Amino acid sequence: MTTATREKVIGEPVDRVDGPAKVTGTAHYPSDFTFPDLTHAVLVQSTIAVGTIRGIDAARAEAAPGVLAVLTHENAPALVEAPVTLVDGPPPFPFKDNRIVHRGQHVAVVVARTHEQATAASRLVEIDYEEAAAVLRIDDPRAPVMPDRFAGLSGRGPGDVARGDVAAALASAEVVYDETFTTAPVTNNPMGLFATVARWEDDQLTVHDANQWPTMVRKTLATVFDLSETDVRVLVPYLGGGFGNGLRAWPHVILTALAARVVGRPVKLVLTRPQMFTSVGHRPESLQRVRLGASRDGRLVAVAHESTSTIGSLDNGQIEPVTQVTGNAYSCPNVATHDERARLNIPCPHSMRGPGTTQGNFALESALDEVSYTLGIDPIELRLRNYTEVHPVSGQSWSSKSLRQCYRAGAERFGWERRTPEIGSMRDGNWLVGYGMAGVTFTPGEAPCQATVSISRDGTAHMRSAATDLGTGTYTIATQVTAELLGLDFDKVHVEIGDSDLPSAPYSGGSALAVSLSGAIEDAIRNLVGALLDVVADDESSPLRGRSPDEVTLGNGGIQVADAPAIGETYLDILNRHGLPEITAFGERDPWANPASRPLGSFAAWFAEVRVDADLGLPRVARMVSAVDAGRVLNEKLARSQMIGGAVMGIGMTMLEETVFDPNTGRIANATFGDYLIPANADVPDIDVVFVGTPDEVRPIGIKGLGEIGVVGVSAAIANAVYHATGRRIRSLPITIEQLL
Amino acid sequence: MQNTVSAEAYVDVRLHVNGTVQALHVDSRVTLLDALRDELALTGTKKGCDQGACGACTVLADGKRVLSCLTLAAQCEGREVTTIEGLAADGRLHPVQDAFIRHDGFQCGYCTPGQIMSAVALLQEGRAGSDEEIREFMSGNLCRCGAYPNIVAAIREVAGRGSE
Repeated sequence: MTTATREKVIGEPVDRVDGPAKVTGTAHYPSDFTFPDLTHAVLVQSTIAVGTIRGIDAARAEAAPGVLAVLTHENAPALVEAPVTLVDGPPPFPFKDNRIVHRGQHVAVVVARTHEQATAASRLVEIDYEEAAAVLRIDDPRAPVMPDRFAGLSGRGPGDVARGDVAAALASAEVVYDETFTTAPVTNNPMGLFATVARWEDDQLTVHDANQWPTMVRKTLATVFDLSETDVRVLVPYLGGGFGNGLRAWPHVILTALAARVVGRPVKLVLTRPQMFTSVGHRPESLQRVRLGASRDGRLVAVAHESTSTIGSLDNGQIEPVTQVTGNAYSCPNVATHDERARLNIPCPHSMRGPGTTQGNFALESALDEVSYTLGIDPIELRLRNYTEVHPVSGQSWSSKSLRQCYRAGAERFGWERRTPEIGSMRDGNWLVGYGMAGVTFTPGEAPCQATVSISRDGTAHMRSAATDLGTGTYTIATQVTAELLGLDFDKVHVEIGDSDLPSAPYSGGSALAVSLSGAIEDAIRNLVGALLDVVADDESSPLRGRSPDEVTLGNGGIQVADAPAIGETYLDILNRHGLPEITAFGERDPWANPASRPLGSFAAWFAEVRVDADLGLPRVARMVSAVDAGRVLNEKLARSQMIGGAVMGIGMTMLEETVFDPNTGRIANATFGDYLIPANADVPDIDVVFVGTPDEVRPIGIKGLGEIGVVGVSAAIANAVYHATGRRIRSLPITIEQLL
Repeated sequence: MQNTVSAEAYVDVRLHVNGTVQALHVDSRVTLLDALRDELALTGTKKGCDQGACGACTVLADGKRVLSCLTLAAQCEGREVTTIEGLAADGRLHPVQDAFIRHDGFQCGYCTPGQIMSAVALLQEGRAGSDEEIREFMSGNLCRCGAYPNIVAAIREVAGRGSE
């Protein structure tokens, strides 16, 4: 079976199909759902970082107007331990016992008839704490080290690279580089406050919940409440962003369902903005050491990259893969990488867009920039001298790689040739102007996914899958892929997602959903064609009688014989003649059952112009350019937006953002949008994006994934431009005015 | 020390919302934002911080942009409130709504109602004279998806058409 390309919609800059709903306020996010007898829950959070609860006095809260229940570890029913997911282990459940392991840990839930009543009563819950000494700094020697949970006795995880002899290569290298980098903890802060609305009907639980993975939340709730998965339904038709926050079933989700069961009425819980800092994860702080050995002509002979990232003290999370791509980014015979975590009394960090790799790229690409100055080699030229045509760790050729084209196209769009290499040489009045760049190698994910595709007699097609659209464009690209593969008009295709009752889908994360879902859609349509041909197998009036899927092509709303396109009929003809209201086929793709034959990477080059006020040290990102190889682009308009969005988030972590933990109390000193600065409109310059990739040869539809790569490389490009402008090498994010004065 | 709960007080308020008079009997602590969302089922207006710092809850009150999370419902007696639901007329999108779709001025869409209400007011205020001016006067509306360049493009286009 092949597909005709007459109704070609893949790649076209189609407007978002959910656009009209989003601009009229009719797209319903989890916090928008209500029920007639809805009640409201408000969390009480720990005011100490570590210790135990000696006692709780909830009497005054319980007596306050409208209060239905106050749940704490003292009266909450015991729950089953949450299951380990594909991404990592569950966060610790806060009501298991009286231990406090971080400030902001949930210690009570107050349920009342109205939100105002619950909020007022939550201030009346009195907690008596026994406080202990907190471990709050990444370099505190008391902080226990957590190796990769898949690591053996050596402590080395499966992601760690050990190639050649790094020590010997460093000892004999002509040029040796050794520096330490730090990146601040930053908080995802999607605009949508995470919210859960839970309703029980007997032993059936329905939950509207802000998450990026409905089937995982369903499995978690089913496990902890000892239910069958079919008795739990998780709905998230729209999500107000996530950036990784929604990849876990966080304790507040479980507590909301628990509260609803206890009071026997539906419960809504909406996190406050300060609670968004302590309850749903953040990008952990990192401490990194990069050592490079190079020859005078700019060839890398040794790369060593080690990282420590923070994690919560009882959290069973995954390793933060800071050095994940270091071993694959450049051609180098001697490479050693290692990631580990330091346990602190802080709220659980978790995934944030491009986890690990974003922090690691900052260090590695800054280090290369430093070496380029030491050697007097243009930064792009230095990277080209170490370009690798093969995937170094496996030795196989990449499934596709256009990084060379990224450098060339990006440099051209940016005007890199105008750069004069000397520091401070591009002054414009009182502005010190700097140009910087960074290369990006990224490993996008892929995961098992299922979908159904139906054709109905009203001429429409439906694609259904339990995937989510957190603003990434899933609704739109799934419509495009289904329409193109079926040969149907775009507006005849309807996509239903965001419901755990639909065919199982993976997380919206790891840049994995578009490719995983497209693979499932492709399989479903292949099966749908098989089913349609089965229907007409003995149909004497069908021109397709006796044809097999290999002999046909799809287009113009129907099936044609591939080498005789005039012979064929429409889907509707088949359904009508056989009296079928619709026909549905199931599809799935499991990339792990048949691992890709060749290693995968997506690639980019970022270029930044920075202007620093010569007297005040005021830094401004003046413009940015990115050239990206993400394989086949499904929708150039949405893809460009996603890259720009990544850049804005990257500008935030580079120039503005730091979640400040008070070193004595563990309190987050800036847990509001007034104090924690994410980029505002006036902070963001023109950002130019060009796509240079070709369809990947191995993955479905040729897609490599775009969800995360936009944020990777931004920090190093800006930091390198700051150095070029000022001669200040900033190895600590964020880059603030104090560092430039 | 006695930490008293304020005795609950209910107030009667008549709001004019999107051209319709709405009589409410609400807890005096209820914000305009929560009244719109919970009492009137107008959930298009969003809560992003509840602290007046993000702009997601922006609505128009007597034609001017206000943060509905920092405005008590009880303060709005007799005021004309326009929300995102009241912007499209006769089933036709407002030019700003239309431009946001075509320029992809959003991703997740959560801040979008506030962005659009702010943009409509900004155009009426005559503050869309340049990209710099648009950026500055739209900086009270945060967008974590980072749609800012597309938001600027959408507003620039509507301003260029001389609409509003």
